Amino acid sequence: MLLQLNNIFKWVQQGGQRVFLLKDVNLKVEEGEFISIMGPSGSGKSTLLNVIGMLDGFDEGEYNFLDESVHTLKEKHRSELYKQYIGFVFQAYHLIDELTVYENLEMPLLYKKVSGSERKAMVADMLDRFNIVGKKDLFPTQLSGGQQQLVGVARALITKPKLILADEPTGNLNSQQGEDIMELFKELNNEGVTIIQVTHSEKNAGYGSRIIHLLDGRKIEG
Amino acid sequence: MLKHHLKLFFRNLVKYKSTFLINIIGLSTGLACVLLIALWVVDELQFDGFHENDSQLYQVWNRFESPEGPRVLSWTPELLAETMADKLPEVHYATGQTLPEWFQKMPLTVDGQITKAPGIFADTDYFQIFSYELAQGDKNQVLAGTNSIVISESLAQRLFGTLEGVVGKTIAWEAMGNQGQQLVSGVFKDIPQNSSNRFDFILPYQLWKNMIVKNGGELKWVSNNPSTYIVLTKGTDPALFAQKIKNFSKLQDDEVTAELVLTKYSSNYLYGNFENGEQASGRMDYVYLFSLIALFILIIACINFMNLSTANATRRLKEIGVKKALGSQRGTLIKQYFGESIMTASFSLLVALVLVLLCIPVFNTITGKTLTLPFSPLTVLGMASVVLFTGLLAGSYPAFHLSRFNPVAILKGNMKSALGEVWVRKGLVVFQFSLSIILIIAVLLVYKQVDYVQSKNLGLNKDNVLYFSQEGKLQQNTESFLNEVRQLNGVVNAATTSQNIIGTDINMTGGLMWSGNEEEKRTRFNELRIGHDFIETMDMQLKEGRAFSRSFATDSTGMVFNETAIKLMGLQDPIGKTITYGNVTYTVIGVLEDFHFQSLREKVNPMFFRLQRETIRNEIVVRISNAEHQKTIAALADSYAKFNPGYLFEYNFLDTNFQAEYEAEKRVASLSKYFAGLAILISCLGLFGLATFTAERRRKEIGIRKVLGQSAGQVALMLSGEFAKLVFMAILIALPLAYLLASDWLSGFAYRIPLRIWYFLGAGVMALIVAILTVGTQAIRAATKNPVNALRDQ
Repeated sequence: MLLQLNNIFKWVQQGGQRVFLLKDVNLKVEEGEFISIMGPSGSGKSTLLNVIGMLDGFDEGEYNFLDESVHTLKEKHRSELYKQYIGFVFQAYHLIDELTVYENLEMPLLYKKVSGSERKAMVADMLDRFNIVGKKDLFPTQLSGGQQQLVGVARALITKPKLILADEPTGNLNSQQGEDIMELFKELNNEGVTIIQVTHSEKNAGYGSRIIHLLDGRKIEG
Repeated sequence: MLKHHLKLFFRNLVKYKSTFLINIIGLSTGLACVLLIALWVVDELQFDGFHENDSQLYQVWNRFESPEGPRVLSWTPELLAETMADKLPEVHYATGQTLPEWFQKMPLTVDGQITKAPGIFADTDYFQIFSYELAQGDKNQVLAGTNSIVISESLAQRLFGTLEGVVGKTIAWEAMGNQGQQLVSGVFKDIPQNSSNRFDFILPYQLWKNMIVKNGGELKWVSNNPSTYIVLTKGTDPALFAQKIKNFSKLQDDEVTAELVLTKYSSNYLYGNFENGEQASGRMDYVYLFSLIALFILIIACINFMNLSTANATRRLKEIGVKKALGSQRGTLIKQYFGESIMTASFSLLVALVLVLLCIPVFNTITGKTLTLPFSPLTVLGMASVVLFTGLLAGSYPAFHLSRFNPVAILKGNMKSALGEVWVRKGLVVFQFSLSIILIIAVLLVYKQVDYVQSKNLGLNKDNVLYFSQEGKLQQNTESFLNEVRQLNGVVNAATTSQNIIGTDINMTGGLMWSGNEEEKRTRFNELRIGHDFIETMDMQLKEGRAFSRSFATDSTGMVFNETAIKLMGLQDPIGKTITYGNVTYTVIGVLEDFHFQSLREKVNPMFFRLQRETIRNEIVVRISNAEHQKTIAALADSYAKFNPGYLFEYNFLDTNFQAEYEAEKRVASLSKYFAGLAILISCLGLFGLATFTAERRRKEIGIRKVLGQSAGQVALMLSGEFAKLVFMAILIALPLAYLLASDWLSGFAYRIPLRIWYFLGAGVMALIVAILTVGTQAIRAATKNPVNALRDQ
């Protein structure tokens, strides 16, 4: 088992009332799964993804990741944990505009304190694998959306994470580019990487092995 | 990691060039100001502090009681120094010394050639007390006996054309109608720039004493002339010692009324004023003032940096969000931001150093100093700490503020509105402009006051009067010389006087008795002994009676008073009243309207004139007409050469003395003008940056407003109005503060400008206009853009 959420609640206070973002969510994810989270706008998809990615906290419940109970961990440990095991892919790519493709890929390794020569080898590996060696010195704004998202995925993968979290990874792409990215995810999944993605598209959800439906912060079984 | 940070830093610089330029310009000019002021302050603080005995070196002053309050004067009895050394075990060395001003141009003759130079008379231990370095001669011996003279290296060059074999050569001198021949006993290195005592030669003190006696004076405890300096033995408590010597003079002689006051020699320069007989402020006020200005300017520049980096940070929010999502710790981000601000500060320092090197000659002209930028370990350390301070101050807000954000919120784009309008930023702008406005008002007032002082009716006409000392043969044939001078074309009048009326400490005396004051002798008057025509030459205005006249032989016992003196004495119908002074009965023959002979800081003192004794004279004053100065002066020089062959005709204009009285104020005025200009410039730079940023951030809002029908003018008004409000608040804060500071400064002047409301409003309006102009250009640019482009981006 990779991770398990038990009775997760998350809320905000609004005008003296609790507005629930997540309500009693239970989820068990095994290694090697490819899960799609679906639901209308505001149903809590992204919030759930952020909670799983440890970027956001929650107010009640338990979260175990590889037998570590995340809810009791200190900030520093939590950050160690997700640096080690989780990679993020964003809808708007979120590459740093002032860094080249090569430097963007290198960045997560810096935070893991990987040595210089090792870093070089790992970045070269990724560039090679995604066929973007020729673009390594370009800046993000010089790439098309599909290429930028490719770099985004490469950046997420470079730390060899067990889990990839993708928040509408194809939302800003045209259909051809979107399909390429989904094929890539499928391939990665086949290699053993667990993937959880948020998506609006039934077609993209079809690439996954399991679909979770959310409505108003609740998980709908079915 | 470092490489990444550096890359991000530099690429952001390139991307946001204008922000970077504003930061560099602001910080580097700010730092350059700080460096220049620091050089000046350090030089001021070290003034007179180079003497080895500095910690034990003290000056002894005389404190007189007068109806207007105590007065502390450097004039002390000739006997004081030697008696103190004799009777007080705490006194290690002591010397009397004549003031350098008294013999600024003493004629020295070598091989028939006359050279004029400033000199003093001082006692045997002079070189033990003061660390003026002797290049030749033994410091215990050079001033022994009465036939020695010690000269400076530059004087040796002037007199002999060489420094070699100068010792043993003969120099003839003359002063106050006395002459003598001296043998050079030593040569001292030229006196350093940071010494307030400046002279080119020293004659033995015994000669001075002989001269006093020869000229009809007495060496008594009530006769005050030289200043007295002492070195205390190690371990002496100066406070206790000062207490002990308070009545020292009184104990020596019953007639003495003055108490003794002790001040540290090196403190006299910065704390030169006495209030109620205690050492009070002085130039130190300016040291504080400029240190404050330096700090203000640095803070203003740092605020720019803080404001612009937080503003800029909204552009870089994504970077922060991504970094945090990828696992960057908050500490790393804090370090990165501090690193960036320290790097910017270091770069600014380099630019500042270049600026300082370029500006130092001008700065020296304005301040009248010879400052250089020393590259010693200490200054490097000092500069490093300024950079560190600036970097940390400027970087603190972005570093702590920005690193705190939640990455999820940033990446969702929720942060933008929250960040945009931080009140801190507005507060900083208000603070910045308050400081600038205060500086502008300060400069305006200093200017007005200095101008007022220079154009005020002094009660005498200081313009077109030149003066020179009465030397050589001029002492015998004065009257015929004056008569010839009066005939010259362009000469209005000419006369003699014992002392110059402006720029010197005019002799003070007490002991006058008049009806109603038979016992009380304490009122002290300034006294000048003058020749006929002096009052006319100076254009002083008579209120009652008449001036001295050759047609009245009785005028040798006549006295002319100023109005203040008559009021103080309480004399009704003063003309013809008798005054007893020194066992002689005088008659009041005239009353003059008050005239200013001291700095306008001082109230007019009571003063009287007597006719000069035939034997002692000192200065000749000549009023010339306004036209053809050169011709008149050339004619004067001819007459002078005829009457006084061998002497160089060296003269000064009286109004230069007058200017010198306000030199400190004038220097402060011109310096603060530059600094205030810089402060407002730097503030506006920051405002410009902020306006640019606001316009950019509100692009979408402006677009929507325009689509909904708001005109470009209204949009521009809305944008500039927001900043105008801040400057307006700054005005409200600055004006009362400036008012308090201004009235405090002006209270130091006995005659001052009234504080008018428009000085304050003018400064405020000026700041407002400059700010609106700065912001307005950006506002108009933003307002006239096509709204479609702005909206399409979102």
